[in-house]
Amino acid sequence: MPRIATAFRLLANDRLALGAGVVLAVIFLLALVGPFFVSDLATRPDLLKRNAPPLVLENGFFHLLGTDTLGRPILARLIVGAQFTLGIATAAVLCSMTIGGFLGLIAGFSDRWYSQVILRLADIIMSFPSLLMALIVLYTLGASLTNVIIVLAITRIPVYLRTTRAEVLELRERMFVSAARSMGASAPRILFRHISPLVVPTLATIAAIDFATVILAESSLSFLGLGIQPPQFTWGAMVAAGRGYLSSAWWVAFWPGLMIVITTLSLNLLSRWARMVADPQQRWRVQSLRR
Amino acid sequence: MPSVTRLMKLTLLASAMSVVAGPALAQESAITVVLPEQVSNLDPCNASNSHVGRVVTQNITETLTRLNPEEGEANPLLATEWEQVDELTWRFTLRDDVSFQDGNPFNAEAAAFAINRLMNQAITCASRSKLSNLVMIPEVIDEHVLEVRTEVPMPILPTLMSLVMMVSPDTPMDENTNEPVGTGPYQLADYTPEQVVLERFEGYWGDQPEVEQATYVWRSESALRAAMVETGEADLAPVIAIQDATNPETDFAYLNAETTRFRIDLGVPPLDDVRVRKALNLAIDWEGMATLFGPDVLRAAQMVIPGVLGHNAEIEPWPYDPDEARRLLEEARADGVPVDTELNVIARSGNYPNSQEATEAMVAMWSDVGIQSRITTVDAAGWTEYLNKPFPEDRGASLLMQMHDNVTGDAVFTVPLSYASDGQYSTVNDPEIDELIAQARAATGEERAELFGEVFRRVHDEIVAEVTMFHMVGYTRVGPRIDWEPTVTTNSQIPLADISLND
Amino acid sequence: MTAFFGKRLAYSLISLFGLLVLVFFLSRLTGNPADVLLPPDASAAERQAFSERHGFDEPIHIQFLQYLSDLLRLDFGESLRQNRSAMEVALNAYPTTLQLAGLTMVLATTAALLVGALAAIRPGGLFDKIASVFSLTGASTPDFWVAIVAVLVFAVGLGLVPTSGTGTPMHWILPIAVLFLRPFGLLVQIVRGAMISALASPYVKTALAKGVRDRRIVFAHAMRNSLLPTVTVAGDVATGLINGAVVIETVFGFPGIGKLMIDAIHQRDFAVVQATILITACAIFIMNIVIDIIYAILDPRIRYQS
Repeated sequence: MPRIATAFRLLANDRLALGAGVVLAVIFLLALVGPFFVSDLATRPDLLKRNAPPLVLENGFFHLLGTDTLGRPILARLIVGAQFTLGIATAAVLCSMTIGGFLGLIAGFSDRWYSQVILRLADIIMSFPSLLMALIVLYTLGASLTNVIIVLAITRIPVYLRTTRAEVLELRERMFVSAARSMGASAPRILFRHISPLVVPTLATIAAIDFATVILAESSLSFLGLGIQPPQFTWGAMVAAGRGYLSSAWWVAFWPGLMIVITTLSLNLLSRWARMVADPQQRWRVQSLRR
Repeated sequence: MPSVTRLMKLTLLASAMSVVAGPALAQESAITVVLPEQVSNLDPCNASNSHVGRVVTQNITETLTRLNPEEGEANPLLATEWEQVDELTWRFTLRDDVSFQDGNPFNAEAAAFAINRLMNQAITCASRSKLSNLVMIPEVIDEHVLEVRTEVPMPILPTLMSLVMMVSPDTPMDENTNEPVGTGPYQLADYTPEQVVLERFEGYWGDQPEVEQATYVWRSESALRAAMVETGEADLAPVIAIQDATNPETDFAYLNAETTRFRIDLGVPPLDDVRVRKALNLAIDWEGMATLFGPDVLRAAQMVIPGVLGHNAEIEPWPYDPDEARRLLEEARADGVPVDTELNVIARSGNYPNSQEATEAMVAMWSDVGIQSRITTVDAAGWTEYLNKPFPEDRGASLLMQMHDNVTGDAVFTVPLSYASDGQYSTVNDPEIDELIAQARAATGEERAELFGEVFRRVHDEIVAEVTMFHMVGYTRVGPRIDWEPTVTTNSQIPLADISLND
Repeated sequence: MTAFFGKRLAYSLISLFGLLVLVFFLSRLTGNPADVLLPPDASAAERQAFSERHGFDEPIHIQFLQYLSDLLRLDFGESLRQNRSAMEVALNAYPTTLQLAGLTMVLATTAALLVGALAAIRPGGLFDKIASVFSLTGASTPDFWVAIVAVLVFAVGLGLVPTSGTGTPMHWILPIAVLFLRPFGLLVQIVRGAMISALASPYVKTALAKGVRDRRIVFAHAMRNSLLPTVTVAGDVATGLINGAVVIETVFGFPGIGKLMIDAIHQRDFAVVQATILITACAIFIMNIVIDIIYAILDPRIRYQS
């Protein structure tokens, strides 16, 4: 527990990171409970109220940020959209982290033929711009919620795979591994009981940045018309749908765009802080400054 | 801080450059046109694809006849007159003062070559595909007289000749080309992945147009196209979105010959019940829907625009009557029709401006009267699979988004495809309709118009095979340097000769 | 060293081949080109004729063997939509993207080295905070959104630059500025982190303790060490830059490889998809090898072993 306490003390020291953490917590909370208060406001078109301007209160609280091209209150849509946006990102990051981490453990620990296959597959994915890979796969599978998650996960797998492998390569030469081995521990046991706990923190740091990357990648997919399809929607899809109105009804694309910026910026700031904490030399620097 | 001063110098330099690089003062009579999509090839045979046709048609290559969209009939162009010789044969008399841009004379032989090239299966030719399997056999009678024979009677052949581009006899016969040579007032000067440049052809047989040079560029974002005309980077943006058409001084609306609908899958319950199909039409707030497409759209009751031979002006479009829709559904439910089945609404992404929004709005309105549906969004390729027979097995009770254009001036390019039992994308299976269509195809003039009009009426009032939506409107932005107004054919051609320059 | 690069090359070729197989079969699963390239009302007979003309009626493994044998003769196929050889289409588009991405990368790396290093002098200080927030905000914005807003503000509103196109150097300012944001934001963080580590490392502390007066020397040394992680990341960032280029080229009407690839995928122009992917992947492999070489130059300790 003292490690966690230290982490919190460090977080409190870095006001930027602390702010980012609070913002993220609020957004996640909103995504979790918000939709219960919104009911069908977010999806019900009202053609009489198309593109109503923001900061007008007479239509009710949810119209505070204006309405979109079909007269739906943007605030309500932001809340429901948060669920899809963060849901997709969470699912994609967890998938790629688990699969990438697992494959990385294997590729790092074993020199058999399948390790080579894994590495070459990672090379293939890495050597190809992820957006285009996503496009081809989505055309093959069809654009749906699950498929968007799968595609985003696939394109991020190599990052985790390579990081894990690099860590395992280093760790497997350490004393405690040889010790475990000499005591007759099986390879899976060594991998999962002894090595993986040491790899997870590194992966978690990458995951924070990746979360931001995935949100932005999803918005690019929406821009190109291959994100998730209505009636489901993400912030990225909202920006993409509203971009044609930037000169006449700026708010349609502005608010969801702002949410993306706030969320990804917070994630980036947090991961910047996490890297600092993870690196003892930097931590020394930060602590010494605070004294 | 030396770096700061340098930075300031750079900024100053940059702003100075921007003054110099303002709107380039090219030739006085050169214009720039900004199109919505890349001109990806220039084969005149593909001119029925709008991205090719907007550049090529009536600019580089011309046709024997030119369609008058208001009356739906053919006017002379490279042919001066024509007559029907027998049921299967038409005779065209050609102009004798025309030559191609490469110096070849235009005569019956050249016209025959152009028709044969269009019919040649060795090349990809969108115009041939558009003519749905029509076989034309040209025969040279003398230097300036040509006969064209068809395998089936084709009373509107002169109108169809407005789709056949007359290309130079030196055009490769068995290969597609990107170097079109025709008889038109402009010839190709440059073609790169970034632009197409046309220059005035000094040897043109008709009047010399005002515009000397036209550069075509393409940008996919509508806002950008509109902005380019505003900043003077372009003089004409033929297609912009309704939300960008904000300046009444420069922006024009025009009926663009496109009509939208949802095709109803008549074979699958609950859509096999006419009450459910009527309810689908009655449930939509058509006035509200029109706000998505602009104040100038026309509510449609059939899939061809007024002016097309066969358009029936007497059909009343379905009104907005949600109560009646609910009543009909209840009635159907009482008779055991599975009205609660979830319908599959198939939407094609980016089919037309605001198509996605329109679909979402309609699904919500259907849900209001108690019709449940889900949206399946597909791209052009996936959509074509649903469009054409054989329909996919797993489509369910489907409604298919479709935008149909008919610029041939005759309903025969709409009706048999859409409503005959053997029609390529018809969901109607009705012997009486088939009989009517067969009669209409063989008839001419008034009688033809009436018969096709009757098909449209029955399909709309009695069969209710579709949810017809709107005759669509396009928006165009015209810069202050030029004088031009869009017409119903603007989606398929922009004759530069129609553009005059303001001083 | 030669052995290392030999092995590296062999791996690259294996991956390249895998990529080609993958793209060939995946793209053919996306649908029939006849559905997109012919008008929707083209008849079944027309479609059939089209498929036969282009060999799409053959079993897929025969098509693949045909593709491979053509490839060996350096025949990359015809673009169905553009009536030209697919490789010609791809190579035409290549210089635009190379310039766009290259310029952006050089600018982003230089700027990131500068800003990152300055931020590392006083981590947590005012400059560090401002630089971090600004660079990360840039990296956190959907690029197509920034692109369109930038056009509306700088080209339409202020009239400082042209809206789009590639005609003059002025045309390149906006696209590069927008494309710059992501790599810059990511690289600043890397440089900053590396510089902090380097400045905190024992030899710097020793040097400072021993009273080396000239801080510039210390700084230069630290900078040299922080180049290493920057170069590693710059490779991945450059690959990611192609994603940005797809979006930027689409918005600004740049006839580059990203726009080409998107259009080719949309239009099922398989030969163009394959040709563009082939040269993009080759470029990325070459870049990775170049990065290895830079590595070797920067860090003499690295001895490549196979």
